Amino acid sequence: MHELSIAEELGRQIERLACEHNAKRVGVVEVETGALKLVEQEALREAFSAVGEGTVFEDARLEIRDTPGRARCRACGCEYGIASPHELLCPECGLADAEITQGNDIVLASLEMDAAE
Amino acid sequence: MKKIRVVESVLKANDANADANRARLDEAGVVCLNLMSAPGSGKTTLLQKTIPALAPVACGVLVGDLQTTRDAERLSEATSDVVQINTGRGCHLSAAQVSNGLDELDLAKLDLLFIENVGNMVCPASFDLGEHFRVALLSVPEGADKVAKYPTLYSNANAILLTKTDLVDILGFDTDLVKSDLARINTAAPLIECSPQTGEGLDSWHDWLRGLCS
Repeated sequence: MHELSIAEELGRQIERLACEHNAKRVGVVEVETGALKLVEQEALREAFSAVGEGTVFEDARLEIRDTPGRARCRACGCEYGIASPHELLCPECGLADAEITQGNDIVLASLEMDAAE
Repeated sequence: MKKIRVVESVLKANDANADANRARLDEAGVVCLNLMSAPGSGKTTLLQKTIPALAPVACGVLVGDLQTTRDAERLSEATSDVVQINTGRGCHLSAAQVSNGLDELDLAKLDLLFIENVGNMVCPASFDLGEHFRVALLSVPEGADKVAKYPTLYSNANAILLTKTDLVDILGFDTDLVKSDLARINTAAPLIECSPQTGEGLDSWHDWLRGLCS
């Protein structure tokens, strides 16, 4: 996955929200990364740090939480946990025809911001 | 410091563009396919054969490459509805680029739109362009182990083409390995074995496409 483009989009969201809330500094950024997106945490931290230079979130602490993957088999309806986007074999019927129901998104969960200088 | 709950998808920017593309295609009654593979698997050659064979189904193509208009030039013999997108250094097409490409096409006259993605087995599989169906190619010279090595490309596909099958014997290619690796990651997509160059096996591909249009 493209950690730099994720960090850039994250940066745009943070700046928009900081502006909406009149914040001068962002202290903490909480991000939930779906396990199936296979995001490299270190690469995301480095990209986030680079993108943040000179911005309202330049000193922000990035907290990354992983959301586990889940899928639903289209053939038999069984729901099950999956560790990667390719391990789709249904434990019930053995087919690999599943819809991913969780763990396939990257979400900006929350921000801690300071409106003071 | 005040904490605010946000809960906004970071990926939605590309997804929003993709959804808008899809809505536009739906409104125009165009079925759209995203063709993905390593460089040189035969995507362009395939389209050069497929487009005339599907007539009177009207086909258009958006083709993505880092540089050159060579693919668009090759395809212009098969259809005048071709748009080349040069990404510069971008390693995959984005929904925003496809949106710009759609602006240059007359969607009203098309039944089928092929998006020939940038040759790349990794990145294109992760970016929704607004297509209805995804087609992944594997060509015989690439090796039978590539399905297992690049699973995202093949697990996401609605159809998989094994191309350059005329080289199976010369290269000692293990087709059974491809089938057993696919059985672990994608049992829904048909595997179509074909040679875009000789034309062998293309009828199955063309029948599958016709089925999407009806």
